[in-house]
Amino acid sequence: MATTNDKEFREKLAALSISQQRQVAALFVQRVFAFSNDVRIKAALDMAMRADISDAELAVVSQAANAARVESYTQCGKETDWNTQAGLFVAKAAVSCVAPVAEGKNLAWDAAMQVRVARTCEAASGDVTDHKEAEAQYAILDDFLSK
Amino acid sequence: MNEMQFLTWVRGPGLNLAISIFLLGVFVRLFEIYSLGRKKDLSEARNVAGASGINTVFRRSLPADGMLKNSPITYIGGYIFHIGLAIIVFLFVPHIKFFQGLTGLSWPGLPSQLVDFATILTIVAMLVILFDRITKPVKRYLSTFQDWFTWALTFLPVLTGWMAVRHLLLPYTTMLAVHILMVELLLVFLPFTKLFHAFTVFGSRWYNGAVNGHKGVAV
Amino acid sequence: MSASLEKGVRVLKEVIDAPIASYFSSCVHCGLCAEACLFYTETGDPKYTPIHKLEPMRRLYEQEYTVLGRLKKLIGLSKAVTDAELAQWQELVYNSCTLCGRCSAVCPVGNDIVYMVRKFREGMSASGNAPEGIKGAANRTITIGSPMGVKLPAVKAQMRHVQEDYGLPIPLDVEGAEYLVMLSSMEIINFPEYLGAIAKIMHQAGKTWTLCSTAFEATNAGMQIGNSDLARVIVSRIVEGAEKLKVKTVISPECGHAYTALRWEGANLVGRPFSFHVKHIIEVLGEFQEQGLLKTDGFETDRLTFHDPCQLARRGGVIKQQRSLMNMVAKNFVEMPDAGFMNWCCGGGGGASAIEEGEELRLEAFKKKKSQLDTVKPDRLVTACANCRIVLEEGLEHYRMDIPVVGLTEMIAEHIPTAAATEPKGT
Repeated sequence: MATTNDKEFREKLAALSISQQRQVAALFVQRVFAFSNDVRIKAALDMAMRADISDAELAVVSQAANAARVESYTQCGKETDWNTQAGLFVAKAAVSCVAPVAEGKNLAWDAAMQVRVARTCEAASGDVTDHKEAEAQYAILDDFLSK
Repeated sequence: MNEMQFLTWVRGPGLNLAISIFLLGVFVRLFEIYSLGRKKDLSEARNVAGASGINTVFRRSLPADGMLKNSPITYIGGYIFHIGLAIIVFLFVPHIKFFQGLTGLSWPGLPSQLVDFATILTIVAMLVILFDRITKPVKRYLSTFQDWFTWALTFLPVLTGWMAVRHLLLPYTTMLAVHILMVELLLVFLPFTKLFHAFTVFGSRWYNGAVNGHKGVAV
Repeated sequence: MSASLEKGVRVLKEVIDAPIASYFSSCVHCGLCAEACLFYTETGDPKYTPIHKLEPMRRLYEQEYTVLGRLKKLIGLSKAVTDAELAQWQELVYNSCTLCGRCSAVCPVGNDIVYMVRKFREGMSASGNAPEGIKGAANRTITIGSPMGVKLPAVKAQMRHVQEDYGLPIPLDVEGAEYLVMLSSMEIINFPEYLGAIAKIMHQAGKTWTLCSTAFEATNAGMQIGNSDLARVIVSRIVEGAEKLKVKTVISPECGHAYTALRWEGANLVGRPFSFHVKHIIEVLGEFQEQGLLKTDGFETDRLTFHDPCQLARRGGVIKQQRSLMNMVAKNFVEMPDAGFMNWCCGGGGGASAIEEGEELRLEAFKKKKSQLDTVKPDRLVTACANCRIVLEEGLEHYRMDIPVVGLTEMIAEHIPTAAATEPKGT
């Protein structure tokens, strides 16, 4: 059954195990990785794609991804480059992917939302207000579930 | 000039000159400061009880939270010598007699041993404060000639007055004359140095309290 | 004297008023202001003494407004203010001052030093001595209309995202709404969740609100740089928008200096009292809480502490509300030492965070905040200013402290029951 709305999308994501959530979240983030290109983000995504990660490994990439996130804020008063700004949300999404949380938190949903904001930034840079990231995410999830 | 002539001069023409310059100076300074005025604040006020100019005039005499701990000498030394000066100037019977001669007003004084004790505390506090100004990096950095000069201007009347009462160093007549001269120098320079804070502290605290009181912040 | 120095001096002369004259005349060089300033306490360098940051202005005051000073000038005994001196003072007036106001709170003779620094910046910027980092923001305010270059389409893009994510409409240009919500560039750019939080809260409270397409942002670079003309540009736009839409209250966002600029300086900049109220979002939430319009579910259980943004608390008078709100959604809220009125600055306000050359100093000054956190040992840090958030995160990251930072408005909104607040997309 194809996902057609956010309510279903969110519920299906919540039903996944943490490890599965990390993997599908990483797939979402890869679509917008080009806005960041930060090696720490890449490391985080690669780690999230693996089914078997130890807590220690997770802690290392988590810290690195967080550093990338903090560095990518636009300072108050600086000129906004929306394409660069998208990188902040890519970083936020990546942090969600490798967040060391207990079972039960919908980190894939958080990542998906941040990816959409990154896409919104891209739209903003082109003075466009619309994008179809949500639909693309539904397709990725359905594809992941069918495997 | 012999010691009697010296004393007569400082009590007479010297005093008149000093008080005239003092009063003129105070008036001119107060005028040149407060006549500048300030623009009316058109933003909507947030009225909170306890947050106002007059509140701050009194409240600012106490240290702000956490400050006493990190600067005890400045506060405690400051309290001692200010209160000490007030006791000496206004509660020492010979001084009260002097004011009575000048204005007709008089009030009860303290026993002279108490004033003597207060004077010693004041002298010690002022020496400690001086030492602090020399040794603390911030105070030393900020200090200019005027800081050392005004310290001396304030210290010498206290010291010489105490020495006169105790009949130390010089014959009484001379010591007294020197003391009065020191006071006159203090009066002459007060309006034109940082010592003028004796008058402007009220205005400054009031403005600070009023501007912040407008926002509902009790400072 | 160069043309720009002349302009700067002229501006400085204009801003000197009775309070400033009184303050300069009262200073006794006690150095207590330094002990209150984190830039001094964490570096030990006396040049950061707050009153010292004003030395050129003090000399100018003496030379122009005192009989003795003018006499000295006449006979050639005074030292004029020079271009070089102002250039030298730039670091002191901008990099090492966030307009936090602690100095004004402790001066025993009552000097309002931050008031003076704010005025001094007028002269500094008029003479061309404002830092590059903020100058750009000032230019963008004029050319694009936004200090950070945020345009309406970008705002609309974020609006659209929030509408989808939260399932709540974001009203735009609704005449007669009770509240006009302002955003800070920082929120539009860095924290779009803020807008969603507002939507949720307003929806639950049953209040009408709107954004304004011609005045969506409150970040006031003019205030930071110290250029009243520039500050006026932004405020005027907001006033026009608020009056056009006939709103009762304009809500200033989680940004400290935007609040100061709009709430306290605004009416004076445009030269007339406002016909509407101005409130910080935390004030509004506080009111909703008191009126029973804010109903939350559940509690945060980890150990939380609150960082008071200087412009909100000490400089703005909003001190109690954030505490009531914290207690509404947190079981384990603990105060850091010096919390409330005397809390320590994050080190990055007033435009300081935009000054790249000042980063090292800021990180050193952050040790003060670090020491507060080392004492209270929270799991997370809550605050109500987008700039504080970023400055805090950078400081925490630098000192390898694992303490996430969250915004209070968002935290409150997270506890508003979703069923009451949203309709899912697509159903």
